[in-house]
Amino acid sequence: MKKNLTLLSIVMISHSTAFAQEVEMADTMRSEGKIYVVVAVAFISLAILSFYMIRIERKVTKLEKEMKK
Amino acid sequence: MARSWWWKITALVLLFFTYYEGFLGEIPRMPILNETIRNLYFHVTMWMAMLVLMICNAFYGILYLNKSDLYFDLVADECARIAMVFGIAGLLTGMVWANYTWGAPWVNDPQLNGTAASLLIYAAYFILRNAIPDDSKRARLSAVYGIFAFVMMIVFIMVLPKMTDSLHPGKGGNPGFNKYDLDANMRMVFYPAVIAWTLLGVWMMSLRVRIRKIEWKNEDQ
Amino acid sequence: MTTALHQYFKLVRHEVRLEFKNYHALTSLLVYSLATIFIAYISYRQSLDPITWNALFWIIMLFAATNAIARSFIQESRGLQLFHYTFLNPAVVILAKTTYNILLLSVLGFINLSAFSLFFSLSIHDWGQFTLGLLLGSFGLSAVLTLVSGIVSKAHNQAALVAILGFPLLFPLLITIIKFSGNAIQGVEWAINQPNFYLLIALNSIIVVLSFLLFPYLWRD
Repeated sequence: MKKNLTLLSIVMISHSTAFAQEVEMADTMRSEGKIYVVVAVAFISLAILSFYMIRIERKVTKLEKEMKK
Repeated sequence: MARSWWWKITALVLLFFTYYEGFLGEIPRMPILNETIRNLYFHVTMWMAMLVLMICNAFYGILYLNKSDLYFDLVADECARIAMVFGIAGLLTGMVWANYTWGAPWVNDPQLNGTAASLLIYAAYFILRNAIPDDSKRARLSAVYGIFAFVMMIVFIMVLPKMTDSLHPGKGGNPGFNKYDLDANMRMVFYPAVIAWTLLGVWMMSLRVRIRKIEWKNEDQ
Repeated sequence: MTTALHQYFKLVRHEVRLEFKNYHALTSLLVYSLATIFIAYISYRQSLDPITWNALFWIIMLFAATNAIARSFIQESRGLQLFHYTFLNPAVVILAKTTYNILLLSVLGFINLSAFSLFFSLSIHDWGQFTLGLLLGSFGLSAVLTLVSGIVSKAHNQAALVAILGFPLLFPLLITIIKFSGNAIQGVEWAINQPNFYLLIALNSIIVVLSFLLFPYLWRD
């Protein structure tokens, strides 16, 4: 089993280096610039999350201050 | 610490960084994985955040046993809750990823089994907490169980996978995946990503702790 | 030190004597596991392949252990418990209870094994290794479940809780022990089974040390 695995690893590593350029990636999406659409959407969702987290944070801080009085 | 802004802003900035580099950064070209290797920043980081929160849970359990201050128990409880949230997120994202690279949402993999087990352990932790009405007794018993569970879980997810073939990288099984461990480019994104998600988790946890402290004070009045 | 040792032996002897005094508890335990094995037999009705019967054997052991150990803190009278609280060292109490449960479960394990060999045709190639596995497995199962039943005894003794809290903690132990005894059944060389053996020893020691350290916190009320 162990021997098979090492053999397999050698085969796979040599395979992946020799044919590295032939691995299919989303190159068209990148060259067309469409990937920026994805990034923009992800950023908007993140921005909303950040906004929401900050809102809660400030709300809790306000409540804490009120409790202290 | 709980009220200072700098680490929260760091968390958000690093999250934006993670998403930017996660979609646009350089990644090695590898068969089978293709573009999905980017999931490293969005899936593996979930487990890292969960692990950190679980360490916090055990740590605050030990603190409680030594100091008998219910505040420590509160923090331990909330750590476990947020760890559970990240754990479920990690499990779901992992299932999606596994479905497209390994061919099935659930494969018999020690890493996967270990994390599923840790979710079960923390589910049992909450069941134990719910079963005890008395505050200080609940804190004591759940701290004991939490510490014990944490050690067992570490054995499960750190030691056992090293002894068996795993589909996960670096553990026998799939040497082809091993390469991305070495990719310096990805590391520069992966580590900040781990910090980002962990800080976000700690932030969520601290918010819940503070809300519950306000609730306590309300009950006292 | 000598008093602690003295207390320890006295407590173990006390546990054994208590068990034989109301031996219907012992008998019910025996009937429980024999009935479970018989159910397995009438459900399969044929000889099983080694992997299946090995898994089946350990699952039945798990349930028998849960049943046997869940009551280890319940059967004492209130007065005796009070005596224990005031005069005994809690670490000694947990060690004595664990020792007794290990003895009980090992005996039960051998009885289960003979019942198994009666109903299913066993083909164990390496009896020495299998027996070693049986002892180590009983050790781990009883050590974990004794601590868990200690926790549960403080949480209003809900017997179902022992299984809920105990099972997730036993995953790493069960995986290793099933692998170890599976290798023993197939007659694998000792050199290959050795890592599993060391892992089992390490796990068992971790469990005992943890229950030694954590149990005193459960004890004080």
